Amino acid sequence: MSPELAVRIGSLELANPVGLASGTVGYGSEYEELVDIDSMGALYTKAVTMEARPGNRPPRIVETPSGMLNSIGLANPGVEAFVAEKLPELRKRRCAVIVNVAGSTEAEYREVVERIEEAAGPWSPGRLEPGAVAGASGTGVDGYEVNVSCPNVRHGGMAFGTDPAQIEGLTRSLRDATSRPIVVKLTPNVADIASIAAAAEAGGADAVSCINTLVGMVIDVKARRPVLAMGTGGLSGPAVRPVGVASCYKAARAVGIPVIGLGGILSAEDALQYLLAGARAVQVGTGTFVDPRCARRVLAGIEAWMAANSIAKVEDIPGLLKP
Amino acid sequence: MESEGPSLTVPPGFLHHSAVQQFDARIIGNRPVAESWRELTLSWEAEEPSPGQFLTFRPSASSAPLLRRPLAFAGHSGDSGGRVSVIYQVRGEATRLLAGLEAGAALDVLGPLGRGFPLPSSDEVPLIAGGGIGLGPLLFLDARLRAAGRSPALVLGFRTAAAIPELELPGGTALCTDDGSAGFRGTPVDWISRNAPAGPARLYGCGPLPMLAALAGLAAERGWRASLSAEQWMACGVGACMGCALPRSDGGGYLRACADGPVFEAGDIDWRLRP
Repeated sequence: MSPELAVRIGSLELANPVGLASGTVGYGSEYEELVDIDSMGALYTKAVTMEARPGNRPPRIVETPSGMLNSIGLANPGVEAFVAEKLPELRKRRCAVIVNVAGSTEAEYREVVERIEEAAGPWSPGRLEPGAVAGASGTGVDGYEVNVSCPNVRHGGMAFGTDPAQIEGLTRSLRDATSRPIVVKLTPNVADIASIAAAAEAGGADAVSCINTLVGMVIDVKARRPVLAMGTGGLSGPAVRPVGVASCYKAARAVGIPVIGLGGILSAEDALQYLLAGARAVQVGTGTFVDPRCARRVLAGIEAWMAANSIAKVEDIPGLLKP
Repeated sequence: MESEGPSLTVPPGFLHHSAVQQFDARIIGNRPVAESWRELTLSWEAEEPSPGQFLTFRPSASSAPLLRRPLAFAGHSGDSGGRVSVIYQVRGEATRLLAGLEAGAALDVLGPLGRGFPLPSSDEVPLIAGGGIGLGPLLFLDARLRAAGRSPALVLGFRTAAAIPELELPGGTALCTDDGSAGFRGTPVDWISRNAPAGPARLYGCGPLPMLAALAGLAAERGWRASLSAEQWMACGVGACMGCALPRSDGGGYLRACADGPVFEAGDIDWRLRP
């Protein structure tokens, strides 16, 4: 019997635990020919803000040992263009679509969610088309991931993510605006990620995802200046994986809601570290840049590992970590 | 990003968008052609690439070096099941690993990516200028234009005579060296300034950023159109990550080197971006 791969995030059921991380696959279309997006558990879109953002001055990326720094700066076309141009495409998705939202103020986050709610219409997790993968409602939006962890913008972003009171207030405000599942994406750039996760849960979040990138800098010694135009950027890739695994371990012990793990997953073994640490699902991000087939390989590897270890349900994996 | 600001100046020409594939190519040859420069030949089962388009390859099965690296096509032969070539400089760990691969080895490649060079109009004299990493795509462009019955001027610049690669260059190629040890003493921009045709011309360029900026300036001065291929750090190579941004000349944000380019009409980009 093949293993049971479905995972529940609030009232949403994902077909499998492997999603594609925000900011790494745009809104899906750019990777259409290379990644079988619909066979994944979820597509987490590039962040959407109220107004269009051009993003930061280049250079925006640089490779680091087993990782990369980025300072994209939430470049996106704004919520109106998202609704007009991206949403129709996302409605055709047969996997769950989690829209990543960001803002400079609590009001902006809420306005973005309200505008998307208005455009996407009501949502019910039970309304599945025959033959559709679990999770896809056909409305183009099956949940929100709240970006309170971007290190590359001056206002909002990570400033929210480091203060439990602000996280709780923001989550509560968004909770009032939507019945769709809310995932709060946490930053590792804090002293105690457990308290931040608990604040998100207290505000009504259905899940937390961690980690977003770590603040980093690379200096060009010859030129005597930072390589990135903005100075610092966010570190991702295998270099951050142990930080991500530890963050998930701590968060999962602090909350009852599911934790979604990400940070440097390139293989099934990497993903299994996150699941064993307590994550209910995972996201592949930088791994897709390295190998567009990465998420598929990760999923196949998890299935094979479950079969080899006689584990029937993927949701049972978080309980299997030995002390 | 595409939805912001006015649309790009896109002249007709070679293929702009192709069916992108990821596959394991087989290395057919990987030979040195100059100090630190090599020519790589690969089996190619995806769509036929156009000059200016590129592939990305995964440098290592481990996590270091991590990101795929872009390489511009230097040539293509045969139909599907054909072969492509690239000319690359060994200048970091990823290209050092690539240089160590021998014929028969497999290479994880993805392509063809990006938008290539447009064709010149019938009244324009094609002037092709560049050097360094621009060598491959410019030789490819030159060959394609000749095959199309055009007579481009090919002007290639090198630091010194010893840096000129052992490649079969088309007859009539103008060689320039910074130190005058071979050919014309000066840059391709200097050469074109002195030997420019009187009538309309279209400038094609690929190489270091200061040279592209100089070519853009020269084209503006002479009233020529210019198609320049830009280099920028890339993470995804397919237009998703917004990492390879280049500033638009109209102040309306940024364009992606990988998907909106790498070949741009000179007037679309602010070439004064930091090197």
